[in-house]
Parts: sequence; structure tokens; C-alpha cells
Amino acid sequence: MNNVFNIKNLDLFYDDFQALKNIDLDVEKNKVTALIGPSGCGKSTFIRCLNRMNDLIPSCKIEGNIQYHKEDIYDDNYDVIGLRTDVGMVFQSPNPFPMSIYDNVAYGPRCAGNKNKDKLDKIVENSLKKAALYDEVKDRMNDSAMGLSGGQQQRLCIARAIAMEPEVILMDEPTSALDPIATLKIEELINDLKENYTIVIVTHSMQQAARISDKTAFFLMGELIEVDETDKIFTQPSNQKTEDYITGRFG
Amino acid sequence: MTEIKKQITRFKKKFNFNSKKEVIDFLVRTFFLLSTILSASFIVIIIIFIAQKGVIPFVTDNDGIGRVNLWKFLTGLDWLKGTAFKSNLYGVGFIIINTLYISFFALLISMPIGVLTALFIAKIAPKKIAEFLRTVVELLAAVPSIVYGLFGSGLILTLVYNLAKIFGVQSKGGNSVLAVILVLALMILPTITALSEVAIRSVNKDIEHGSLALGATRTQTNFKVVLSSAKSGIFSAAILGLGRALGEATAVSLVAGNARSGPSLAFFEITSTLTSTMLQGLKETIGIDYDIRFSVGLVLMVVILFSNLTLNFIKKKVGNVDVK
Ligand SMILES: Nc1ncnc2c1ncn2[C@@H]1O[C@H](COP(=O)(O)OP(=O)(O)OP(=O)(O)O)[C@@H](O)[C@H]1O
Ligand SMILES: [Mg+2]
Repeated sequence: MNNVFNIKNLDLFYDDFQALKNIDLDVEKNKVTALIGPSGCGKSTFIRCLNRMNDLIPSCKIEGNIQYHKEDIYDDNYDVIGLRTDVGMVFQSPNPFPMSIYDNVAYGPRCAGNKNKDKLDKIVENSLKKAALYDEVKDRMNDSAMGLSGGQQQRLCIARAIAMEPEVILMDEPTSALDPIATLKIEELINDLKENYTIVIVTHSMQQAARISDKTAFFLMGELIEVDETDKIFTQPSNQKTEDYITGRFG
Repeated sequence: MTEIKKQITRFKKKFNFNSKKEVIDFLVRTFFLLSTILSASFIVIIIIFIAQKGVIPFVTDNDGIGRVNLWKFLTGLDWLKGTAFKSNLYGVGFIIINTLYISFFALLISMPIGVLTALFIAKIAPKKIAEFLRTVVELLAAVPSIVYGLFGSGLILTLVYNLAKIFGVQSKGGNSVLAVILVLALMILPTITALSEVAIRSVNKDIEHGSLALGATRTQTNFKVVLSSAKSGIFSAAILGLGRALGEATAVSLVAGNARSGPSLAFFEITSTLTSTMLQGLKETIGIDYDIRFSVGLVLMVVILFSNLTLNFIKKKVGNVDVK
């Protein structure tokens, strides 16, 4: 098995509240893993563990083990900055920086010390192409990113993540703020991206999970109920709770 | 009873009201409009009053002393310098330059310090310390200017005096351009810090997280993303700070030295500003010498207006981003 992440016995607490309970999950390379489950079940909390964005929440405490390429990312000496360059993230609502389209994409490489103008130009162009945004913005690279539509902004955020040449891209409900057409574009994009990237995506839409993912993990009240091939989860889940959820009997 | 109801319906029809809610809404909006008109009219009244007095020296012969030439007044490089009292002794050209020069340097000192302090309070300091510092800054912003003036004349004058000595310059007891700049910089620092801090704190967390998730460090995030997102608010802080610097009279008068000619560009020279000139002897004078201070007031208002417009223009140019 070619796993990028190995998660073992993960418990997570916000103060006294346990948001994740004993999670075991492996994330396979170059696959799309979808996380589904009712609101508040801990999907966002879980995905934020993978690039240590939970570090920003003071009340958050983590126990257990998360390995990225067999290295414990919660080890005291682990290079968090390096982790975040390898594991990119796309947020629920588009959050472009208030600067030009070009600068948005060049931001990550620049922070990583890349100052070469020609190289940056290349990176920006390639990233925008991979994010299927290049044709729409190539004539206004120096305009503010805030002038883009919501769907374009989200693809810009994906381009921004791609510019770091990550191995994994985490997406927390990337289409929840978008209309159906923009959503479709992002879904197509994810299908293209999975050849080269490992994607973990949180979604509220079961159709979306079914359409784009290879594996699906079902969370319920902080527990991982079931994880399997997406086809199997949606046709013959092995757990009754999963079946109840995907058939819409609760949640 | 039905008559009243008819009346009400007619009233509603007339103003296109369809429900009680709309009537209340209309009344509330009218109330807001009235309060706005009231406060706006105060400003207008003040301007009219000052303008009325301020134009007297230029349109009357000032009880036989003679009319003041507006052009000479605006470009003159002396103020009441001469052996015999005449109407052509008033010139504020150099004072305008002094005022702008001093305010510019005051802003130049307090902007970087204020913004960095604000960044520290908003983003870097632990919660408890941040709260404490915020209170201190707010208190400092509320300290009356005369207190800054006393502090200036007590401490800064001595400091500047000794500093001048080191440079081999004999300053007039420390009264100088530098002393005014320092007092003003100190005085506007809390205002700038407090306003910048609010601007920085209200930057959307999503943007910050977006930066951190790209592997940017905290420092990179603060300087490249947070500050640039707060640009517009920081500019507003600068505009208010500059307004306060341009308009401050009491503290400035205590350390300026009241120069009668200029402009004073060397840091250890004595100087004068529009406000200190207005204040100087205001209580002991009459006639043209009294009225002319209103003219100076008018000039000050125009100067403030123009510097505000300039800064607002720059703000639009560089801070033209709406952060959600
Ligand atoms: N910063 C926080 N502090 C305290 N509790 C939190 C925090 N963030 C999330 N929680 C709690 O942890 C639980 C899981 O939240 P999480 O946001 O991970 O759910 P989710 O599955 O992403 O839900 P949704 O689908 O609504 O986004 C919830 O009960 C939530 O209230
Ligand atoms: Mg969530």
C-alpha cells in the first residue's frame, strides 16, 4: 500500500470536549479521499490535523499519532512550515489575499524564498493553468483578486496551493459557497488534479463524494464509522449507521 | 372613528405607506436625517462665523490702518516684524510651510512606531499583555494636549537643549522645530496606534490562515498579508493623526519659541505654527490684530482640508482593496 498519511488512535480535545475519538485512517497516494458526515461530526477538525492548522486553536489538544511518510508530524522537532508546503489547503469560503492575481499565486513561492522573476512567472502561469483559471485571467494578472467571481476566487486559491507543488491538497467544503456551475468546474478540476496530487476533501454533498472520490470516510459524532472504496460505501456499506446516513434517514 | 381611519388611509396613500412598519421606518429615518442636519449645520455655522471675521482684514480698511493684501498675507515670510505697526506686516507663508513641515515629520516618526506597536498588540502579544497595552494606549489617547505640552516644556525642552549643545548649536532653551515635532509625535502616537490596532485586528482570520497554510511564517504573514489588508484602516489612522498634529495649539505653543519669520527648516531653530500664531496673545489684542487670527484660522482649515484630500487620494490609490 502506498500511503501518504497514517493516522493511528487519534484523539482530539477542545478543552474538555472530545471532538475526535480514536480515529484510525490511512490516506492513499494519488487518490481522492472524501470525508462525509453530519454537521459537527469533526470533519473540519480532522482535516485541520493533517497540516497542523489546529495549532492555531489554543484550546486544542491532540493525542495519538499522525504520520506523514512515516514521520510523526506532531513530534516536537517536526518542521511545520515544511509540512504546510507539502500539504496545501483550500478553505470553505474563498480567501484570496487583497493583492493582484499574480501576487496571490506567487505569494507562497516568494515566502519560501523564490525571488527569481522568470521562475515566478512560470510557476504562476503553470499553476493557473492547472487550476483551469489561466484563460480567464491571463489578461488581467495585475488586477486585484478581489474582483474575481466566487468560483474564480476559489480556483485562484487552488492555484495558490498548487504553486507550492504540494503532494497533498486538503479541501474543506471547497464548493459550499459556490453556485452549481462553479461547483461543477471545481469538481472537474479535482478529477484532473488527482493524477498528480493526493486530495482529501470534506463535503456535505453525497453526490459530490460519489462523483469525485475514490475512497469515502464516514464520520459521526467524532468517530470514524467506516472507510472504504467510494463505490462500496454508496452501494453496500458494512455499517448500519452509514447506510442510514447515505440513504438520508438521518443527518 | 371611521373618519380617522379614512384620514390615515389617505395619509398612507399620499406617502405610499403600506403598513405601520413603513410609517415607523419613515419616522426613524426622518429623525436620523434631522440629527445629521443639526450636526452638519453646526459645522457650517462655525465656518461662516470664522469666515466672517477672517475676511475683515482683507475687505475693510481696518479702522484706518489699511487693507491687508491677501496675496502678501498668504506668501509673506514675516509676521509682525517691523518698526511701525502697519497692515502689511502680516504674512503666513512661512507659517504654513512650518506647519506642514512639522506635521510631516511628526507623522514620519509616529506612523512606523504606531503601526508596529499596533501589530504587536493585535497579533503578537499574549492576550493578557495585549489587553493591558490596549488600555494604556486608550488612556494615552485621552490625555489632554496641555499635559503633553507640560511634559514637552518640562522634559523635551531640556533634552533638545542638551542635544543641540552636543551639536554645538545654541538653541533658545530648547524651543525648536525638533521639540515641536517630538511633542506632536508623542501626542498622535496613541491615536495612530489605537486606530491601526483596530484595523489590524479586524483583518479577516481566513486570510491569515490562508497564508499560514501556504507555509508562510507568522512574521511573513503579519507583514505581507495582515498589514496590507489593514492598509485602508491604517491610512485612516494617519489622516486622523495628521489632523490632530495640524490642529494642535496648546502643546505646540509651549515649545515652539514663536518665530516671527521663516520658514524654520533647521531642527534647532525656533518656529511657529498656524495654531501657535493664532493663540499668541489672542486675549490681549483688538482690532485688526485680533481679526487676523481668524484669517489664520481660515488658512488652517484650508490646509487641513487639502492635506486630508491628498491623503485620501493616496489612500484610494494604494489601499484600494475591499477586504471581506
Ligand atoms: N475552535 C473550536 N473550539 C471548540 N470547539 C470546537 C472548535 N471547532 C470545532 N469545535 C467543535 O468540534 C466539533 C466538530 O467540529 P467541526 O467543525 O470539526 O465539525 P464539521 O464536521 O466540520 O462540521 P460542519 O460540517 O458543520 O463543518 C463540533 O462539536 C464543534 O462545536
Ligand atoms: Mg466543517
